[in-house]
Amino acid sequence: MEQAPPDPERQLQPAPLEPLGRSDAGLGVAVDEEAEGAREEGSGGDTMTHNNFWLKKIEISVSEAEKRTGRNAMNMQETYTAYLIETRSVEHTDGQSVLTDSLWRRYSEFELLRNYLLVYYPHIVVPPLPEKRAEFVWHKLSADNMDPDFVERRRIGLENFLLRIASHPILCRDKIFYLFLTQEGNWKETVNETGFQLKADSRLKALNATFRVKNPDKRFTDLKHYSDELQSVISHLLRVRARVADRLYGVYKVHGNYGRVFSEWSAIEKEMGDGLQSAGHHMDVYASSIDDILEDEEHYADQLKEYLFYAEALRAVCRKHELMQYDLEIAAQDLASKKQQCEELATGTVRTFSLKGMTTKLFGQETPEQREARIKVLEEQINEGEQQLKSKNLEGREFVKNAWADIERFKEQKNRDLKEALISYAVMQISMCKKGIQVWTNAKECFSKM
Amino acid sequence: MAGGPPKALPSTGPHSLRDMPHPLAGSSSEEAVGGDSTPSPDLLMARSFGDKDLILPNGGTPAGTSSPASSSSLLNRLQLDDDIDGETRDLFVVVDDPKKHVCTMETYITYRITTKSTRVEFDLPEYSVRRRYQDFDWLRSKLEESQPTHLIPPLPEKFVVKGVVDRFSEEFVETRRKALDKFLKRITDHPVLSFNEYFNIFLTAKDLNIYKKQGIALLTRMGESVKHVTGGYKLRTRPLEFAAIGDYLDTFALKLGTIDRIAQRIIKEEIEYLVELREYGPVYSTWSTLEGELAEPLEGVSACIGNCSTALEELTDDMTEDFLPVLREYILYSDSMKSVLKKRDQVQAEYEAKLEAVALRKEDRPKVPADVEKCQDRMECFNADLKADMERWQNNKRQDFRQLLMGMADKNIQYYEKCLMAWESIIPLLQEKQEAKFPVTAVLS
Repeated sequence: MEQAPPDPERQLQPAPLEPLGRSDAGLGVAVDEEAEGAREEGSGGDTMTHNNFWLKKIEISVSEAEKRTGRNAMNMQETYTAYLIETRSVEHTDGQSVLTDSLWRRYSEFELLRNYLLVYYPHIVVPPLPEKRAEFVWHKLSADNMDPDFVERRRIGLENFLLRIASHPILCRDKIFYLFLTQEGNWKETVNETGFQLKADSRLKALNATFRVKNPDKRFTDLKHYSDELQSVISHLLRVRARVADRLYGVYKVHGNYGRVFSEWSAIEKEMGDGLQSAGHHMDVYASSIDDILEDEEHYADQLKEYLFYAEALRAVCRKHELMQYDLEIAAQDLASKKQQCEELATGTVRTFSLKGMTTKLFGQETPEQREARIKVLEEQINEGEQQLKSKNLEGREFVKNAWADIERFKEQKNRDLKEALISYAVMQISMCKKGIQVWTNAKECFSKM
Repeated sequence: MAGGPPKALPSTGPHSLRDMPHPLAGSSSEEAVGGDSTPSPDLLMARSFGDKDLILPNGGTPAGTSSPASSSSLLNRLQLDDDIDGETRDLFVVVDDPKKHVCTMETYITYRITTKSTRVEFDLPEYSVRRRYQDFDWLRSKLEESQPTHLIPPLPEKFVVKGVVDRFSEEFVETRRKALDKFLKRITDHPVLSFNEYFNIFLTAKDLNIYKKQGIALLTRMGESVKHVTGGYKLRTRPLEFAAIGDYLDTFALKLGTIDRIAQRIIKEEIEYLVELREYGPVYSTWSTLEGELAEPLEGVSACIGNCSTALEELTDDMTEDFLPVLREYILYSDSMKSVLKKRDQVQAEYEAKLEAVALRKEDRPKVPADVEKCQDRMECFNADLKADMERWQNNKRQDFRQLLMGMADKNIQYYEKCLMAWESIIPLLQEKQEAKFPVTAVLS
């Protein structure tokens, strides 16, 4: 798998920092492997020396979340949550970690970082952020952004986001990313100074290209379809899962009513009383067990959500390709028409309609000097055009090559992560079943003593 | 099962069943085989095969009389019949084989009633007859009439809302069959009720309609007398022990009602959960069609969820068929018991009123008039019968509920075990084909 040569302006010199991810989400293993993979992949070419240069590893964690009030851009008071990002460097030899950096960031700053990365690494499948607003909620979960459970899950999601970047062979070397972790004040200004917002492709332009492009690389077309369908199927899955969780909650909680009525009933019974009473207690245990079970399942949902959002990132890469390809096609078209114009002027034949041709007919022929001048201009333009086309072609091919390399990397990551997620989901279900068997076996024993 | 070839049939009449082993297997059953049974020496009259005379084999008073003279024999029977093991039982009744009958006027179900007994009250050791719900209903009212001092077990609900429940569905018929079987077994286990005339006729008569139409009054003396107790007497205070029973029954019925509602709610929630699961599983299947390496794992998860859905459906079906009906039966039981309590109050009230009237008459004769004495007898018998039945009922109730609730726990355990198996079997599938480069550490508990 080849990598794009590091862009000196954007990338840190000397290069990486070998991040060793640490994550509370169940992706720890996968992320570690990602880092290992990065190390392995980086062992070719000139990055070899860089790797050996830095023996340290870094740990990144989003360790806390805090409610804050401040004034926004319009000088109005607002409440927001700030997250504490801690970076530790781990000494290779003794494994001890030293806190090197610690700063607070809010969600909008993460968004800024990501938008920057999207502009400067259009060939990379940029890791997504956790959702801005709580979606796919089931009834118990609050849709409130200030809800502590939501904030906690978002904290984990943000940490995961940073770890994904840190373990990406190319993204991890980005200077702005490094500053995000280390420079609290002025970071926003630094990012904006890169002028990345100006360089961003307009949505309209991209849409136009999508419709009009004639020969996109088939792989990207297929990938686009895949990402659309992936988005659709994961959304559906998350929606239904939320409903399933809701119903399951209901089933468990209603059993709690048995606890109360068995207790009341046992009061009027002589021999049956004890058995009923203790069985009722088990029913209460059963009813309350669902809270933990569903909380665990939320982690699974979060893992799926990440890939739902990843689908959008895939889509973005495809869009960039379409844009570049369209650009290329327009340039080629333009060049071809200029060449034709030139030819017509030189040979004096008019094959296609042109305004010049019309005016010539109407107002008389131009002088040979004028014609010569025009031919010269055109020839210059054609030369320029050919150079541009050449470089665009090269750019396009480079893009396809690099993007596809990252897409392959992404595919493997996705397969690994989702398999892990499915396994942990199955493990959760197994645990739930075992608990259920335990509770009902206990209840059965109580009933037998009635 | 139900829905078989339409056969309009009256009861098939008694015949021996060689295939079922007789519980008290011995030479007696072999003698009875073939139907040309030799009349038992106890019988005063020769019987023709299959005929059931109205005159009882032992002559004299029909069993079930509650005259004071027979209460001691009653007590004896009580003691004997309290051992409910196979060894001392002499009467076995089974309800099975439901069949649908389609006639011009109506469609209905009959059930086969198989009776095996060594009791002298039965001419033959084995009987097999067919009865429909109406017949059971008839039996119950006759029992209530003739044994007013006893607690008569309840029947499953008579009326079913058409359109809501299919009267001829397998589930409904099976649920009803079980309830009818329970009904007859409870009577069989009762030391007094099991000897009741009407019960005997019900179990043995070839054509029950003859008895129904002729309105044969086989009322016992007690039955008759209680029948004539007018409702005009009001009891001042219920004696403590019966008041306690009344209170108990009130609370009991209340709690059962609550449990019934909870159980229904659980089933409803489980069904709604099932509906969502049935949509959830297939989405994984759809996803697997988009993927390469993930296709099999996703498909596996889809299948797994499908298996859990099936297990859940079985659970809800079981609970609906086996759990709810028994609860309802007991609610009906306690309702009918409360009316028996009220009847007892009536009898006591009548006695007390008549006693007072006599005291007011200020006659010198110390002798208490005969009819007041009768009232006293009546009351004392009623009290004795009721107390005995209450105790019996409490024991049975305890056993029934132990069995019912253990059954409920069992069904839930089985459901979770099925799901556990499904998920455990899929773990190896999810773990396989990992590339050697990136070994995944399985997160197993």
